[in-house]
Amino acid sequence: MELSGERRVGAPRQEVWAAVNDPAFLKEVIPGCQELEQVSPTRFTAVVRVSVGPLKADFKGEVRLEDVVAPLSCRLVGEGQGGVAGFAKGSARVELAEDGEGTIVSYQVDAQIGGKLAQIGSRVVQGVAAKLTARFFDGMAMKLGAEEAAAPAA
Amino acid sequence: MIAPGHKGNIGRPVRRREDSYLLRGEGRFLDDIAEPKDTLFLGFVMSPYARAEILSIDASEALALDGVVAVMTAEEMKRLAKPMHTIIDFPGYRGTPRPILAENQVRFVGEQVAVIVAEDPYIAQDAIDLVQVEYAPLEAAVSLEQTLEPGAPLVHDEVPANVMFESSFSSEGFEERFSADGRIVRERFRKSRVAGVPLEPRGCLALPDHVADSLVFYTSTQIPHLVRTALSELLGLPEPRLRVVTPEVGGGFGTKAQFYTEEVATAAIALHLRRPVKWVQDRREELLTSIHARDHIIELEATVDDSGRILALRAEIVTNAGAYSTYPFGCSLEATGAARMLVGPYDIRHYAYRARALTTNTCPSGAYRGVGQPSCFMAIEGLMDRIGRQLGIDPAEVRLRNVVKADQLPYVNVLGVRYDTGSYEACLRRALELADYWQFRKRQSEAEPDGQFLRGIGICNFTEVSGAGSAGWRVRGLTKVPGFDSAVVRIEPSGQITLQVSQAGAGQGHLTTFAQVLADHLGARVEDVVVAEGDTASAPYGTNTFASRSAVAGGGAVIKAAETLGRKISRIAGYLLGVDVERIELRDSRAVVSGDQGQGVSFREIAAVAYSMSGTPLPQGEEFGLEAFETYDPPLATWANAVHIAQVAVDRRTGSVTIENYTIVHDCGRVINPLIVDGQIHGGTAQGIGEALMEELVYDAEGQLLNANLLDYLMPTAMDIPDYRLDHIESPSVDALGGFKGVGEGGVIGAVPAVTNAVADALARVGANINRTPLRPSYLLQEMQRAAAGN
Repeated sequence: MELSGERRVGAPRQEVWAAVNDPAFLKEVIPGCQELEQVSPTRFTAVVRVSVGPLKADFKGEVRLEDVVAPLSCRLVGEGQGGVAGFAKGSARVELAEDGEGTIVSYQVDAQIGGKLAQIGSRVVQGVAAKLTARFFDGMAMKLGAEEAAAPAA
Repeated sequence: MIAPGHKGNIGRPVRRREDSYLLRGEGRFLDDIAEPKDTLFLGFVMSPYARAEILSIDASEALALDGVVAVMTAEEMKRLAKPMHTIIDFPGYRGTPRPILAENQVRFVGEQVAVIVAEDPYIAQDAIDLVQVEYAPLEAAVSLEQTLEPGAPLVHDEVPANVMFESSFSSEGFEERFSADGRIVRERFRKSRVAGVPLEPRGCLALPDHVADSLVFYTSTQIPHLVRTALSELLGLPEPRLRVVTPEVGGGFGTKAQFYTEEVATAAIALHLRRPVKWVQDRREELLTSIHARDHIIELEATVDDSGRILALRAEIVTNAGAYSTYPFGCSLEATGAARMLVGPYDIRHYAYRARALTTNTCPSGAYRGVGQPSCFMAIEGLMDRIGRQLGIDPAEVRLRNVVKADQLPYVNVLGVRYDTGSYEACLRRALELADYWQFRKRQSEAEPDGQFLRGIGICNFTEVSGAGSAGWRVRGLTKVPGFDSAVVRIEPSGQITLQVSQAGAGQGHLTTFAQVLADHLGARVEDVVVAEGDTASAPYGTNTFASRSAVAGGGAVIKAAETLGRKISRIAGYLLGVDVERIELRDSRAVVSGDQGQGVSFREIAAVAYSMSGTPLPQGEEFGLEAFETYDPPLATWANAVHIAQVAVDRRTGSVTIENYTIVHDCGRVINPLIVDGQIHGGTAQGIGEALMEELVYDAEGQLLNANLLDYLMPTAMDIPDYRLDHIESPSVDALGGFKGVGEGGVIGAVPAVTNAVADALARVGANINRTPLRPSYLLQEMQRAAAGN
């Protein structure tokens, strides 16, 4: 499953970069995030509650930051276990570009799902993922200073 | 001898005895059996990975849940039951044992890793969520295309290149004949993966006696005797202490002609814990773990002469066996089935094949209705069309030029297989006439080239292997499939008749058809006959119900037992009536004297003598009772044949397919009950239409099954199925008793190629080449666009 898109955020690049590296900030804007802890400068552990169709599960997992070029770009690599609901894993390439007073955040996500999530949810999971991604960036934009919205392109 | 005046039942549309309760919803299926109140329920923890090491299993949270009695892993299970191991005695076969619960490694999504034993089924489901299994995922071999590449991950270390089975054949002088003069026509056909999807998923209920040294095992299966033998071996429980009973079975289609690990686990746990244990799967589990089928690549190349006659044919067949060889058929069935049936009704004298079954990290495959035949006829019938298109000869005409003619029968095909009787050309001609084929071709050639619909017509002319006897299974190396069937006929003291057959119906109407066969061959009234089957405590041993064998193998055994008992009845009647036994004739449950309408005795009066319940003693030398047991071993195979013709319209804007006309002319030899034969053909054809147009189990590259539910696994509804025009030709078998041939699978076998060819014919008009299924709108649109773009 692939998702990509971009979003303008009304805050300077350095501020956006700091925010996406701040566990407290991330916990607030990641939809369904129950717990988020930074265990090293490049590693976070998280519990995220997700519902896909008839499935509801807490996904427990780890996210690593790779290829970090502050404050320009990084790659987020993660895997979450939802117990009997299955698992999700994937990576997201995130780039921050200056745009006047604001910042354009662009992302390319490549994700795989497995287990029950794939067996009964694969038809709806793309839509759910697109919605959650939109909510993440909406939340970020709202907190950092709302700007014109651009719907994420699947 | 049966009296000439006996009212015959074979060939009559006798109403099915089963329908009065099935249609009222009163059938008793596995889950309808009231379980004892101390019954325990199972829930299986299944792998979410296609291939992974199992690092650890932590069941402590599950065990702490109120109502959970035990959680078992491979560690405990292997002490209770041996792994399943299918031995195929055939060169080129590499079997691998399958543990009842996965040990160390999982090999497909859905493989059972642990089992919860709980006091109610809901607690069992909740506890599944609490078992923590730590896996180390490994790269998986999933599709045939990927697995054929060098360096694909190995599913089993002991199976090099993942080739679990390989077999080849070449007729004498094939290579010289193939390279001689002639035009070469070739195509690669890709048959998608589907499943039988019976309405009732699988399940079983194990009832041990109070000291757990014997077991009554209810299971939704087509093969109770084979299950008993296999269970006995894996559990070490003596076979006489094991009784397997099939309740009403809500559809089998071959899916339940397999023996499964969950059945072993249920029986083993019941004996171990000395408690009744029940397990019923849900639809997701059914789609993940019940055998899958098809998933074949068939490449054909033929040399043909200018008239369209095939001079030599070469087939390269690859089938996807899945993660393990299944029991009892192993992984060779589809590969050899496709290879050996492929020449079908055609007079092809030079043939070579190589057939391979590859193991992959997907659900094991097995014997779904039709087995290799929907695929091999999709290939050979698709090739007939291509020969026609390339040579400018009508595809129907190509078939008529290649088909085995009536005056060639009995015919021995290039593989040495005998066709005793058949109507290959006659069925084709009748079907072409009923389908108004030539008129359609005329209309098609005059159609507006830019209309909204592209119309096409597709033919499938095929043979259906059925009723295979012991020789037929030996030749495939299957050691756990006996091939014979048996019957016990008993006239009770009351004069009523009990018939026990070694079959196990799953909706085929056996209680009706076997009564018809017995009545005609015993001279009994059909209403006096009660048929019972599916319980190993009372039914004689046999091969059970699959591969279109009931009428041929079971029917033959019924005929033999009827004749044996008939001789005893006649002897006693002759003694009672004071006439020579040669003058006794049987009719309407009476023994009468030939030529003397008034003189006779009823079966009831004869029974009174036989059971010593009469003033007249049994004649000297006769044994008490009126019972006969016979087995029947049918020939290597009996060959039914049929022609399906589908006419379709494809919407150029949407790619959707509408079946506008559907014609079937079918020949299953002597018809026992035309209502049931028609029903088999109707249902099978519906399944075949679904397989051609929409059904497909989809795995992603990681081996995740993406549609383990019936919202996403599309099946046909009544809206997708046309009215059929159906006609019969009867060419009774001369090799098989009774003249019967099988009819269980023909519908599917004919429909998949006929519909595929019809759509391919329609799209060939715009230059598109259709060679795979399912024929989904997205695929058809893509091919039409590709053709329009000129590549």
